[in-house]
Amino acid sequence: MLPPTLVFIVRRLIHAIPVVLIVAVGVFCILEAAPGDAVDSYLASIGGGDLALAEQLRRQWGLDDSVWVRFLAYMQSVVTLDLGRSVTVGVPVTEAILTRLPTTILLMGSAIAMSAVLGGLLGGVAAMHRGRRLDTFLTTSGLLLNAIPGFWLGLILIVVFVVWLGWFPSAGLSTVNGPSDPVGHALDVAWHLVLPVCTLGLTYMALYLRLMRGAMTETRDSPWVRAARARGLPSGRIIRRHIARPALLPVATMLGLQIGTMLGGSVVIETVFAIPGLGSLAYLAVSNRDLPLIAGVVLAGSVVVIVANIVVDLSYGRLDPRVTDERLRSGVG
Amino acid sequence: MRSSRSRPRSVLTGLAALALAVTAAMPTGVLAQDASPKTGGTLIVAADGTAFPPNLNPAIATSNGVTYISSKVIEYLANAGADGLVPRLATGWEGSEDGLSFTVHLRDGVTFSDGVPFTSADVKFSAEEAWKPLQNFGRIVLANLETVETPDPLTAVFKFSKPTPPSLVANALPILAAVLPAHIYQGTDFATALQDSPLNQQPVGTGPFVFSEVKPGELIRLTKNPNYWGDGQPYLDEVVFQALPDAAARAAALESGAVQATVFAGVPRIDLTRLDALDGISATTTGYELLSYQVALDFNHRRPELADVAVRKAIRQALDPQFIVDNIFLGQGASVATGPIPAAATDFYTDDVTRYTFDTAAAGAALDAAGYPLGADGTRFTLRLRVAPFFPETIATGDYVKQALEEVGIGVEIVPADSSAAYIESVFTDRDFDIAINSPSYRPDPAISTTILYVGGLEPGIPFSNQGGYDNAVLNQVIADGLTTIDTAARQELYNEFQRIVADELPSISLVDFVFTPAHSDRVQNIGNNPRWPVTSWADVWLADQ
Amino acid sequence: MSRSGWIGAIGLGLLVAMAVLAPVIKPGDPLDLVGRPVMPPFTDPRFPLGTDQLGRDVWAELLYGARVSLIVGIAAATGAIGIGIVVGTLAGFLGGRADSTLMRVTEAFQTVPTFLLALALLTALGSSTFNVVLAIAISSWAATSRLVRAEVLSLRQREYVDAARLAGLGPLRIAFREVLPGSLQPVIALVGVTVGAAILVESALAFLGLGDPNQISWGVMIANGRDAIRVAPSLVVIPGICLALAILSVSLIGDELATRLAPQRRRAP
Repeated sequence: MLPPTLVFIVRRLIHAIPVVLIVAVGVFCILEAAPGDAVDSYLASIGGGDLALAEQLRRQWGLDDSVWVRFLAYMQSVVTLDLGRSVTVGVPVTEAILTRLPTTILLMGSAIAMSAVLGGLLGGVAAMHRGRRLDTFLTTSGLLLNAIPGFWLGLILIVVFVVWLGWFPSAGLSTVNGPSDPVGHALDVAWHLVLPVCTLGLTYMALYLRLMRGAMTETRDSPWVRAARARGLPSGRIIRRHIARPALLPVATMLGLQIGTMLGGSVVIETVFAIPGLGSLAYLAVSNRDLPLIAGVVLAGSVVVIVANIVVDLSYGRLDPRVTDERLRSGVG
Repeated sequence: MRSSRSRPRSVLTGLAALALAVTAAMPTGVLAQDASPKTGGTLIVAADGTAFPPNLNPAIATSNGVTYISSKVIEYLANAGADGLVPRLATGWEGSEDGLSFTVHLRDGVTFSDGVPFTSADVKFSAEEAWKPLQNFGRIVLANLETVETPDPLTAVFKFSKPTPPSLVANALPILAAVLPAHIYQGTDFATALQDSPLNQQPVGTGPFVFSEVKPGELIRLTKNPNYWGDGQPYLDEVVFQALPDAAARAAALESGAVQATVFAGVPRIDLTRLDALDGISATTTGYELLSYQVALDFNHRRPELADVAVRKAIRQALDPQFIVDNIFLGQGASVATGPIPAAATDFYTDDVTRYTFDTAAAGAALDAAGYPLGADGTRFTLRLRVAPFFPETIATGDYVKQALEEVGIGVEIVPADSSAAYIESVFTDRDFDIAINSPSYRPDPAISTTILYVGGLEPGIPFSNQGGYDNAVLNQVIADGLTTIDTAARQELYNEFQRIVADELPSISLVDFVFTPAHSDRVQNIGNNPRWPVTSWADVWLADQ
Repeated sequence: MSRSGWIGAIGLGLLVAMAVLAPVIKPGDPLDLVGRPVMPPFTDPRFPLGTDQLGRDVWAELLYGARVSLIVGIAAATGAIGIGIVVGTLAGFLGGRADSTLMRVTEAFQTVPTFLLALALLTALGSSTFNVVLAIAISSWAATSRLVRAEVLSLRQREYVDAARLAGLGPLRIAFREVLPGSLQPVIALVGVTVGAAILVESALAFLGLGDPNQISWGVMIANGRDAIRVAPSLVVIPGICLALAILSVSLIGDELATRLAPQRRRAP
């Protein structure tokens, strides 16, 4: 017998296949409707060309085939993970995505960690002070942060912390010719990521704050907690074990749901901070009408969301053993 | 700002700034030898645009977005100077009286970066395998090239089947004649794979630098070519182009010292005055004199209203180019254009053409007289405007043109074009526009990239060409003659005639001539010492101490 | 109504007033270049908030920008919720293969990051306000659809549905006339969030240059002002604050709606 966790993962992956295929078909339809193809884009980048050259290139790149031929070629390329070459970056799409994905995962992971931890903590504090001034203050600031467009917050942070205070670098992921030793490089990257992570993290923090506050208010009044209080357990322990821990479940669910939204948010944030990740790649693709690259990024985004949700579901088990068995057996999240 | 305002300026910075001030006042010829250059260091340049072009081979790709990078690696036979051509890989050239041959004498002692000597075989290979078949300028200038003969390793003779003006070939050398090493490119798929070929992604040449790292959309690193022929050159160890897609971010990087130079539309125009006033940073058009662009309004002559020259003239009168210069270009590096050839191109320019004045009332009256009275809704007719999204200034001009034409009762609907590719396809392939804001760049000879914007009878699908349907037999003949007339003075007269016809007929309207105003750190020496500085080799560029 | 509900209502009221009264307060095209570029705010009574880098009246741009935010927010949310309701109801009511197919499609749409999908759609369709609405609607209906389906699944077993079936009503009629209305309440609670998200997405798209060039929006204002952020920070700050306040108001109203509906739901059979 295979371990149930593995069975669960395999089931979820099988379940994801038709979903990815539907996404792929949708992406193809979108791209078909787009004016301007890779040849136009290429000719613009080299400074012009004539009809003969354009036709020669379209033949060469398979752009003059019929819709069905191109559709089949496209689906085949999706299945074989060979998404063609990107005109914009001049390397295979898969390679371009894979080189940039770690950066985005680092950025998003840090931002999610920040927003969940900070949001969770502040939500907890708010719940424990429910109805008091601190609660109102925290909830209102959370709402306000949630309403602020990320790109705008990024621009403001750049002016304040880069231009005025000079504390952080304005753009990029690392200093050109910066430290080459691993520790120095890691610190350099971390220094570059502070502002983008804060921008992304702060705008999404409110959700976790509200969730945690709501959930903890509920668990606070639950019979378990009343019983624990009656037994005279220390209040710190009650908060940690009986109030906060069960309240983490909805936070984890939200994490899974938020991955996609945050990935979208990273497009603007990476563009504002010139971070070479998946998001800025999406912007590059869009602004250069690089159709294979757009297709690849959208597909990659979907895969990231699917994988992230599997991870979230697996983590349910750690948070609350009661759900584990049932979820793993049914194979749905 | 952080580095320049809060820290005291060192004596050396002051000296360097002084040296720059002195050299700037000197004639261009002595510039390179004047100050004693410091060897070493990395020059970090904030790269323009959203991405690096994947095909960086200047023998094939000629846009300034390609050549400002690749010109450090691959050199041209000649460069442009303030007073005519300056020898580079060629030491001299002359054309025959009949225009059927053009002889180039090559520099001795030049090697490619792998140490193999540069010879006439490389020129022959580049001309026959790259410039003529694959390069947009080569396809025009070398259209009648039959073969390149190589009587000896240092002489290349271009043989033409029809007369080709030697002055045209010579004028084209600084933008067309980028020499590839035949022994590396011969027999490879660089000509068919184009941007997919590693030899086009990281081309090889005789230049002072070689490609050492390309991270798409992130940075390009060039390192010193130890085999470079220039004495003691290059001075820099490295040139790094760092992609910073946003102009405000580039300005911030320049201020913080993270980059030392920007190029072309490197920093926001509105920020130029502020940046220039900072210690240690200068903003200047010097070095961009012969890299001029225009903002032009193209007509689709298939619209009956626009086929009427009276309407086109009325539209010209409804527009105030001076407003664009003052408010969109903020008066920096721009002037009102009189025609398709910029005033800076002194060898071909004439101001003896019909001029128009801005006169809204006259424009309205002319439109009434042409048979397009105001309708009940206050509109005479409505035009769909496509705007080239190349520069912030073209986009803003689109907004201005819309407003100005609506002022005289011509409705304008701006059709969005988010990418250059979409604009190019809809205007130059589908011809799906009524009017368009274009931004052609002028090259050192009108035959290279200017007359193609006016000649009739072109097929669709040629970017930056006349796709508006204007077809004037007289003008076509003048343009054709310009490509075959040998005598330089006669050619100049032909292009004067070209400008006069265009000004009378207004097949499209040249609104503004402009050059870019980038900003750079004063540490960078020998900046702007030739009129096409960003697209030259930078072998003599050096970095002064902080 | 709670205090936050009042704040939201006042904010939304201002937004609506700006949008509706824009042509009255500032007739003419807000994109017209009317003054000297970058005049600072509060210096010229003709331009109370100054002019932008092309000499447009910032106050007029702000007024008309409110229209785009409001129209896009409401239209896109209506579209998204509409698609979600139709798909969710059909899936929940038809069941079987139709249900699983529709849910797979829903899942696919939920899997694609909303903003990436909107980017790709706008690249394909070209940017106009209508296409922005369409792109946001198409990329954000999935959550509603799931919610409606779950509600429909729990309601379709109820007695009154059986009664309708016995009375000989067609399945579609039962779905949309009998089952759907009962499942709408949780959807209404989503309205505030959806409208706020749509306004946010519109501004981000506009910021990336995918806005309608014939119309001014707050996102476009920020994108235009970005170059001038050092010289005239108000060009970025003012529309940003407006955006944040608009989204805040909408989500406060949404919260108010949600809490008001919640007790009613508990009372429902």
